[in-house]
Amino acid sequence: MDTFVTETVSILTNAAILFIVSAGLTLVFGALRLINMAHGSLFMIGALLAASLASALGGAWGFCVAVLVAAVAVAALGTGVEVVVLRRLHQREPLAQLLATFAFVLVFADLAQRVWGSSDRSVTAPVAGRLHLAGATVPEYNLVVIGIAGLVALGLWLLLARTATGWRVRAAVEDPESLAAGGTNLPLLRTSVFALGAGLAGLAGAAIAPLESIGPGLDTQIIVAAFIVTVAGGLGSVLGAALGALVIATVESLGTLWVPAYASSAPYLVMILVLAVRPWGLFGVPER
Amino acid sequence: MTALDETHSTPAPTLGRAVRRSTLIRAVSVLVVLAALAAAPYVVSVTVILTLEEIAAFAVFAVAANLLIGQAGLISFGQGVFFGLGAYTVTLGWEHAHWSFWLGFALAPVLGAVAAVPIGLVALRARTLYFALITLAFSELFYQLVEQNTDFTGGANGVFAPVVPAWMENPVNGYLTLLGIAVAALAVLRWIYASNFGLLLRASRENRARIQALGTSVYRLHLLAFVVSGAFCALAGAMLVIYNQGSNAELFDWTTSGQAVIASVIGGMYTFIGPVAGTFVYQFGHDNLVRYVPDWQLVLGAVLLLVVLVRPDGLVGALRLSGRRGGATRGVELDSATEGSGATGE
Amino acid sequence: MVTKSKWIGMAVAIALCGAATGCAGSAAGAGSSGGGSSGGGGGGSVTIGESTTLSGSIASLGQTGLQGVQLAAADINAAGGLLGKQVKVVSADDAATPATGVSNVRTMLEADHAVAVFGPVASSVAAAEEQVTNAQHIPIFFHTSNDIGLTTATYSKYVFQDVPNTVMEPRAAADYLAQQLEGKPVTIATFAPNYSFGRDTVTGFVQALKAEKVNYTLVKQEFPPLGATDISSYLAAIEAAHPQYVFNAQYGGDLVAFTKEAASYGLFAKTKVIAMYDYSVLQTLGSAAPAGAIGFDRAPYWTYDTSTMNDFVAKFRAKYGDAPSEWAILGYAAVQHWAWAVHKSGSFSGDAVSAALSGASVPTILGDQQIRSCDHQTELSEYVGAVSAKPVSSTDPTHLWTSPAFEAPFDQIAYSCAQMQALQK
Repeated sequence: MDTFVTETVSILTNAAILFIVSAGLTLVFGALRLINMAHGSLFMIGALLAASLASALGGAWGFCVAVLVAAVAVAALGTGVEVVVLRRLHQREPLAQLLATFAFVLVFADLAQRVWGSSDRSVTAPVAGRLHLAGATVPEYNLVVIGIAGLVALGLWLLLARTATGWRVRAAVEDPESLAAGGTNLPLLRTSVFALGAGLAGLAGAAIAPLESIGPGLDTQIIVAAFIVTVAGGLGSVLGAALGALVIATVESLGTLWVPAYASSAPYLVMILVLAVRPWGLFGVPER
Repeated sequence: MTALDETHSTPAPTLGRAVRRSTLIRAVSVLVVLAALAAAPYVVSVTVILTLEEIAAFAVFAVAANLLIGQAGLISFGQGVFFGLGAYTVTLGWEHAHWSFWLGFALAPVLGAVAAVPIGLVALRARTLYFALITLAFSELFYQLVEQNTDFTGGANGVFAPVVPAWMENPVNGYLTLLGIAVAALAVLRWIYASNFGLLLRASRENRARIQALGTSVYRLHLLAFVVSGAFCALAGAMLVIYNQGSNAELFDWTTSGQAVIASVIGGMYTFIGPVAGTFVYQFGHDNLVRYVPDWQLVLGAVLLLVVLVRPDGLVGALRLSGRRGGATRGVELDSATEGSGATGE
Repeated sequence: MVTKSKWIGMAVAIALCGAATGCAGSAAGAGSSGGGSSGGGGGGSVTIGESTTLSGSIASLGQTGLQGVQLAAADINAAGGLLGKQVKVVSADDAATPATGVSNVRTMLEADHAVAVFGPVASSVAAAEEQVTNAQHIPIFFHTSNDIGLTTATYSKYVFQDVPNTVMEPRAAADYLAQQLEGKPVTIATFAPNYSFGRDTVTGFVQALKAEKVNYTLVKQEFPPLGATDISSYLAAIEAAHPQYVFNAQYGGDLVAFTKEAASYGLFAKTKVIAMYDYSVLQTLGSAAPAGAIGFDRAPYWTYDTSTMNDFVAKFRAKYGDAPSEWAILGYAAVQHWAWAVHKSGSFSGDAVSAALSGASVPTILGDQQIRSCDHQTELSEYVGAVSAKPVSSTDPTHLWTSPAFEAPFDQIAYSCAQMQALQK
């Protein structure tokens, strides 16, 4: 019984992490038709910012403030990137935009190492206790992360399904031409979505910081996992990202338990399988 | 007269003369460049020769990858799979099966082509962005598999051994061999680009539905391109072993695949010579930067950004003039195809 | 208009290439930030090179190692140079890519005329660089990457291993455990990154336990992928097996992540973890360091209470702001080996240095070090200790080890010459 609880919590935590990281990526994919390779870099910067702020402020409340500030700061950074560079490339092939974001991966990696150095950092979790459920140990902060993922999911659902902006974002995913014809300020919408995506990346980095070691290389570590989840779930679909995160997390955890030698290859196999069967992901829109 | 007739009737006589003259200029410039490259070892420093060795291998890689990226419009982040397969065929063949270097070298493209079939069958079902990401997934999958199977593949350590015949250790010999192989491979690829097959690929990039309607199975066309590309990418990987003295798991990684993409875009992905030029720029830039500039990532990123922003169709790109974008009258296509293949510097 | 743009495009491409080449040429000749100058003959200087990983997740190992090498060169120069020449260090980033490492080393040898090369972090890059230096008869000193293959499969007389190799480290841990247990039975789990280093380390540990006749039971073996972001399922599996000891072969950032997650699960209260708790990891963890956990380290500065080491630490701190990691210490010692051999043989040539150093005893900051002639392995001990519950001071929250640390002497943990020579075939 305790293995079941531990595994479930582990899967949910993993899925929560993957979801928070991927939600921003899938939104940007969907609305801007842009593969943002720098999403991992934004994640890393969010984590680094939160680490520095949390150490400076100290305490549980210091950490919360650090997370919020990090998310906002990274959203601002994302806005800057979109307005200065990506906007100019909007009319070009997706490849040009992709390469521009790849260029930013290099730039951010270097700047981050300049500012924060090459040594790793560690952030203490605001809640360090653990619960005991049915004989299994459950760290409290894992539950906090699951909670944050839930809040993000809820917030995005409300935004996309219940607000006019959200409706426009969904329309941008489905049919941008008609949307523009209807009078929506598409550039502003695009910048807003990108900023939101960046902010989510920063939030993810900051929220997950207490669970890992923060240093150079974090950007490339996370980006491939984020791609897999987003693509398997379907570009542009937040529900897809959530489901994709659950599937990948389950496969990884069970793989670790049952076929440890191939556990690291499993996520890629899942993605390939999903795309082989449904070439636009679980909840994606077939190419127009 | 309709607009269509106008485009047709006037250029015909001048087109013939222009083609003849530009073919001559093209042939001469190719010979000049080849002569310069062959004479290079006796003129430039060893550092440059070493970089040129790398460029020989990576140029073939980039052009082979560009068959998909630029010509067919299939952005693949997975050509590293074949590149790595080619390199490992040589090294593992030497280590486990005691093949000579040249046997492994000859088998590398075969293995690349064979592997491309199942991968292509699966990957080509996806379109554009999904295709890019599924090829990326294949890249990472192979990287993981090679890294985990330490016993067979050497794992993260790779296989570094005296696989390459000793006389090629000398940078000059190694370079001249690589140059010869590269020229031969590029000649074949050039023939492929210029053939009807290449034309069909470009056409399918422009308007897939139309080509499908004309009776060609675009899926099969793309699969064939994928196999050809896989074979030549594997050849490039085998070529790299001469420079690298071995093979390592990172050759499968998406960052290696990405290098071919970057070179193609910087150089101009709608042309044949573009990826070669792009490889020159990228390799010289990268190699010198990591040696002399601690912030090389920053510089490389900034340069890449600049190129993407300022030179939209690459350094050697055949520009698709804004007026002609999306509308494809036959006359226009004939013009751009001719300009693409007939003008100098190709 | 199209043709003209193409000409412009070609011209830009050629100009960029030309600029890059010219840059390379002039930089090689004149020297620039981090760049080299012509050495080994002309003028009053000689060049040594280190191509190592200065970016990405293992950057701190590369950077601190390079700092050790640079400090050593600076000290030699301050004392009057070597054979009358000033020692210049050229460095380059290999980004953990063997091809880049090969390219860097070849440039250092051809353009900068480096007379010695100091090794990188990643063993794959090390093996690739070794090919080049062997072919050109240049001595190469490994002070970070420590795969045993470097001194067996691809070994030559120009290769020097200045760091305990992948066999020695786990054996030291096993020796320590044997000493603690004194014959009592024990349950053990292992946790190692799933690549050759991780697997070799675990295999070495288990074999050493057998050799020490420890009464052990292996209850679980986990091999998460290198750099895995979430290891909770692996931790859960380990916990479920209830081992008394967990042998962990992770290092650096991965070990930090493991420690934090394991701490959140309360693992440290239930089992004793043995892992590479070195200065970098302990510094990153700060007050989150697992008190009572067992750490092993290749050269922990705080276990050497000699005036030479204390002076070195003070000097390093003054120059770089931090205490030296083991990579810095071993890098410094490696340069000391090289300089001593040059001084003794009176020559910079690879053959002379190799002959002088093989089997020699060299005074370094780590004391007098013996270099074994059969495999050019420096006869280093490996150190094992318990992480302290108290920080270093009120201003420095790092927890080091309690003293005294356990020292596993070289002859107990290394393969014998016969064993090494059998592998060298």
